[in-house]
Formats: sequence, C-alpha cells, structure tokens
Amino acid sequence: MLISEKRSLVRFLLIYLLSTLLLFSLASWIFYTSSEYHLLDSQREVLKYEAEGIKSKLREMHQSNDDILYYPNNKNVKSAIYDLDKKYIFGTMKDENNLKNRDKDTIYFEAKVEPYYLGAAFLLVSKTIDYEPIQNLQKSILLFMLAASVFFSILGYYLGRLFIAPMRESIEKMNHFIQDTTHELNTPISTILTNVELIEAFGENKNNMNELRRIEIASKTLSRIYDDLTYLNLNHQYHRDIIKINMSELLKERMTYFTSMAETKKLKLITNISENIMVYIDKNDALRLVDNLLSNAIKYNKYNGILEVTLTQKTLIVCDTGIGIKSVDLKQIMQRFKRANKSEGGFGIGLHIVSQVCENYKYDLSMKSEINKGTEVHILWVK
Amino acid sequence: MGKIILFLLLSMGVVAQEHKLKQDCLSCHKAQQIPSNLIYRRYLMKYSTDARMKESMFRYLKNPNKASSIMPPQFFLKFPMKKPLLLNDDTLKQDIQRYLDRFDVRNKLVLQR
Repeated sequence: MLISEKRSLVRFLLIYLLSTLLLFSLASWIFYTSSEYHLLDSQREVLKYEAEGIKSKLREMHQSNDDILYYPNNKNVKSAIYDLDKKYIFGTMKDENNLKNRDKDTIYFEAKVEPYYLGAAFLLVSKTIDYEPIQNLQKSILLFMLAASVFFSILGYYLGRLFIAPMRESIEKMNHFIQDTTHELNTPISTILTNVELIEAFGENKNNMNELRRIEIASKTLSRIYDDLTYLNLNHQYHRDIIKINMSELLKERMTYFTSMAETKKLKLITNISENIMVYIDKNDALRLVDNLLSNAIKYNKYNGILEVTLTQKTLIVCDTGIGIKSVDLKQIMQRFKRANKSEGGFGIGLHIVSQVCENYKYDLSMKSEINKGTEVHILWVK
Repeated sequence: MGKIILFLLLSMGVVAQEHKLKQDCLSCHKAQQIPSNLIYRRYLMKYSTDARMKESMFRYLKNPNKASSIMPPQFFLKFPMKKPLLLNDDTLKQDIQRYLDRFDVRNKLVLQR
C-alpha cells in the first residue's frame, strides 16, 4: 500500500470511527438516562406502596387508646413522620433532618398525610438505591459499544479500501502510462539515432536507403504518438471544424503513409475503397480514427499477414489477420490504457481514441475478433 | 447526697405541676366523664403542631363556644358548654402545656419489633 493511500485510509477511518462513536455515545447516553430513570422509578413505586401502608397504620394508631403505639418498622424501607412545621415526630430514620437533607445513594418519597394522624402532616419514606440493575445496564451498554466499535472498525476498513480502490487504480494506470510512454518514445528515438550513426559511419551512398526507411518509420511513429497524446489531452477542449471530407482520398493517403510500416511486416494490402465517399467530420478526428485503426491492424498483425481495408458509402471496415482479442476483453478494449495484449508496444489509447471519435459523431462501432485469426473493426456512419 | 436532694426536689416539682393540672382541668373532666385523650387526639389531627394546638385551645378556653370548639355539635347534646375559665392567661397557658405533655403521642410511640 502506498504511503498516500495509507494516510488517506487512516484519516478516513479516524473521521468515520470518531463520528460513529460520537453518534453511538450520544444515543447510548440518551438510552442510559431514560433506562436509569425507569429503573429508579420502579424502585420509587415500591416506596409509594409502602407509604400507603404506613398511612393506614398511622390512622389505626391515631384511633387507638393503647398506652404503647407501635410504629411500623421495615428493614428495607426507612420512614419518618413530620408535623406541619416539618418538625420530626417519629420514625425509623436515624437522621431527623432527612426532609431537607437528602442522601445521594437513597431514593425518597414524600407524601402528605391528611388529616394529620398523630400530628403527622408529612411522611417521608426512603430506600437505599439498588444499583445492581443499573450496573447491569451499564455493562450491557458498554458491551454493545465495544461490539459496535469492532463492527464499525471492520466496516470502516472495508469501506476505506473500497473508496481508495479507484485512486489506487488511477495511480497504477498513471505509473503504467509513464512506463509505456518512456518505452514507446525510447524505441523510435533509438532507431533514429542508430541509423543516423550508421549513415555517418559509412558515408552517404545509395545503400543507405534501408537506414533512411527506418528513420522515416521511427519518425512517423514519434509523430503519431505525439498526435495521439495531444488528441487525448485536448479532446474536450479544442474547437472542431466539421467539414465535408473525401474519406476515400484520406484513406488512400494514410495507407501510403503506413506503407513503410506494413512493408516491414511484409503484409499483403487489400483495399476495397469506393471512390469519392464524402463524410462530414473534423479533419483531425478523421486522421486519428483512420491512423489508429491502420496502426493497430499493422502492429498486431502477423508477418506475411493480410491487411484489408474496405470503404463503402456507409461503412469503414479494417480487417487484419493478427493475434486477435479474447471475447472477455472485447467489452473493455475501448477503455483508456486498456491493452488486451502487451506483446507489442503502445499505451492502450488507440482504440480509446477510435471509440471517442465514434461517440462524438454518433457512429456505430463494432468489433469481431478471434484469437490467432484476426480482428475486424466496423464503423457505420450512415444509419 | 446532693443529687438525691436535687432528684427529690425535681420530682416534687413534677408532682406539683400534675396536681395543678388535675385541680384546674382534669378534675372537672373526670367528674363530667369528658374523654380528655379523645379531645387531645382531635386537636392533634386538626392542628398537627403544639403551637397551633395551644393557640386554638387557649382561644376556646377563654371564650368557649361551638364555633371554636374542636368537638362536633352533637357532643354538646350530651355535654354542656363549659364556662370561660377564670384562670389568668399565664396559668392557663401553663395548664395547656401540661395537658399537651400529658397526652403527647411521642411518649407512646415505639418501634415495632
């Protein structure tokens, strides 16, 4: 993994996990507060019930003429009665000021007594809070948060990798492109330099024709690389001048241009070019379309193979007897930098440019190919 | 020895106070079979605090009538309305305090076992 990728993944994970944790903490806190309130409320209900019992007992004691009045004494629930001035009368609470001073670990319930049996106007009932269900709730929430953290960490990592994948792909494509470009430029430049050195070494004579031919082919290759890259870079920016172009003439001219390349592979050229086929197209687009189709057909052809070019009123067909393309690769072959076969040089931009031109002019582009038999490219411009 | 003398003196004081309350109030209550404890409990149930009870008792004893009495009207069908006491205010207040102390429920309350 690249350092930039790792950094992006870590940043994404941090933001994702922190925001998720914050959201979950907030939700858990709300849930905890509400649940804690309900748990305490259920314990307070016990006090309410107890208070009703004590009130009933107070009434009984008030009506009693006994010399000793037995105040109810519950081990779990403490209570005390206070007069109208909130002065302590009697009770099981040790601290007589509990009506004002409350203990944090105790829940209280204050009830009014009417009429004032035994002079009691207020009854205070209290119970030590049972923390066990609250602690269980805390444990459950903590466990849930822990499980959620693990789950969202894994999910975040997976999502992060998923989001970074296109970036990784772009970087890899860019690296391959740079490698291919340097390689593609290196081959013709080396050819030119070597042949120029040969001419210089042996002097100028009639036998230099081969060297000159190689220099010509290499120069044309360089020129085409430059044109393709410029076209790819400026495709959406440059102004197209759509004019009526004689496609027959253009095709013949480009066939001548590529003759030297075709001769190196000893290809047999078959041309079925109808005369004066006129097409409305920008000249540069037409050149890129034809050049890339012819270049590919020559480059990937076999030695002593056949290159057949057919031009009719409606279609342009370029057919070769080359290495062919696998049917699974045919769908993706039009993508930029996609190369079905890396045995030959190139960037994988030729067919991408062809598809771009066809898309711009709404031409139908179709391909048929068979491994080791050849490829046939159909362009239909009149529907 | 001193402590014994002090204890005897205090005991004599308490006995003297009890005697005064009986003489001023409870003797008539007893003669007319008026339930003193019941009256105390009615005051307690209505006024809750000693201060409020004292004030209400004092007002009634100074000017006894059905409106200021703690007892229901039916009570006076059986028992006649008492005449205003001739005791001075301080003595009357002291007697009321003694009355409240005598029947105070706090002295009777114990925790159930």
